[in-house]
Amino acid sequence: KDKSAASKDSTPETSKRQEDGAETPKQQLLDIIGNMKVEVSYRKKLQQLKASESKKQALNKLEGLDSEGSVPQGTTEDTQRGKPLNPELVKAASAVASSLPLNKKQTESELLAQLRRHEETTDKQKKGGAINIRNVISEMTVKRQTPAQRSARLSSRISLQLDEDGRRIRPERASAQSDSRRSLKVGKRLNIFTKASTEPEDTLKTVSSPTIWDLEFAKEVAAVTAQPPRNGFEEMIQWTKEGILWEFPIDNEVGMEDDAEFHEHIFLEKHLEGFPKEGPIRHFMELVICGLSKNPYLSVKQKVEHIEWFQKYFEEKKELLQEI
Amino acid sequence: MAAAALCWALRAARQVLPSACPRQVRSYYVDWRMLRDVKRRKMAYEHADERLRINAIRKNSILPRELQEVADKEIAALPRDSCPGRIRNRCVLTSRPRGVKRRWRLSRIVFRHFADHAQMSGVQRAMW
Repeated sequence: KDKSAASKDSTPETSKRQEDGAETPKQQLLDIIGNMKVEVSYRKKLQQLKASESKKQALNKLEGLDSEGSVPQGTTEDTQRGKPLNPELVKAASAVASSLPLNKKQTESELLAQLRRHEETTDKQKKGGAINIRNVISEMTVKRQTPAQRSARLSSRISLQLDEDGRRIRPERASAQSDSRRSLKVGKRLNIFTKASTEPEDTLKTVSSPTIWDLEFAKEVAAVTAQPPRNGFEEMIQWTKEGILWEFPIDNEVGMEDDAEFHEHIFLEKHLEGFPKEGPIRHFMELVICGLSKNPYLSVKQKVEHIEWFQKYFEEKKELLQEI
Repeated sequence: MAAAALCWALRAARQVLPSACPRQVRSYYVDWRMLRDVKRRKMAYEHADERLRINAIRKNSILPRELQEVADKEIAALPRDSCPGRIRNRCVLTSRPRGVKRRWRLSRIVFRHFADHAQMSGVQRAMW
């Protein structure tokens, strides 16, 4: 910002150098401006570094109690560095103003006002961590509304726009909005812990008695909101939701929620307790278990069902087996 | 006769009852043979486990023969359409029973048609 001002000031000066013949004030100007540029850039870098450090500190420590302790040290250093620069800047501003042919006092005052504004913003950036920035932003949004609203108010006053009730509800609405937004932003941090307090109770109450009319209403809403897809992407999204299209990248274990460990798959002898310990049936079932333990495609449930089916089958045929 | 013809005409539409889906689903199979094949596939899927287990008892050298004969009778008692051998891999689009390539489930004529119109991904005319 100072660089741009300096550059803007330097271009009319270069044009005047050609016109005028006096060299000493211009040499002084050039020296001052040259020095100013170097100092301003260094100062800007310092400020940026300090601002980034302060921001990092504020982000690391939540409420910034520590940052407040560390940042004022930085601000004091910067103010110490800033203060000796200011008289030089004033000198440079006066020299620049003297070189311009227009009202010298006005230009001087304008340049000094600009410098003061820059210093104020940089000081704010130095002092504030994330907290002050948030406040600034919140203030900014509130203030941004007001000029538009002011213009609206002006236009409404000029055009005498009256609402249905005969009053001008717009400014009230705006003030209500700004108040609500202010209160919301003030209360933002506090509302972290008060979320989701009463909602689950209400839902529990309503689920117990769903009337037919509620179901019909829900169906109607779903039918209305389900708009036809506008393009191929939305069609594909719909298909994925329905289950027609797989999800990419393809997950080979979709639908396979096998939470069992490997030993439950392999050591299936504990399920053989219902069978006789000797005889061809036991031999047969041991072979079945051997085959199941080597099967990676079935879940533990399916294997257990397999064995249980055989158990049932052989129990039904017990009479037959006893004849043999 | 007329009533039977009407019933046949209704079944040809093969409407799926709108149980839970919001819109009507009406699927037409190419012909009746395809429909029967679909039914056989469903039955085979349902009885697959039982058939596997009863066959495991039958094709056995350990268990006694009487048990295996009982198992033979049981598997014969199952519905005929539950046998996987009755499934015919027909063409999906024309229901042609012969000349069907398994990878694409299409008959050779349909396959050639689509391949020539460049609608088969990765299929090219052979030339060497």
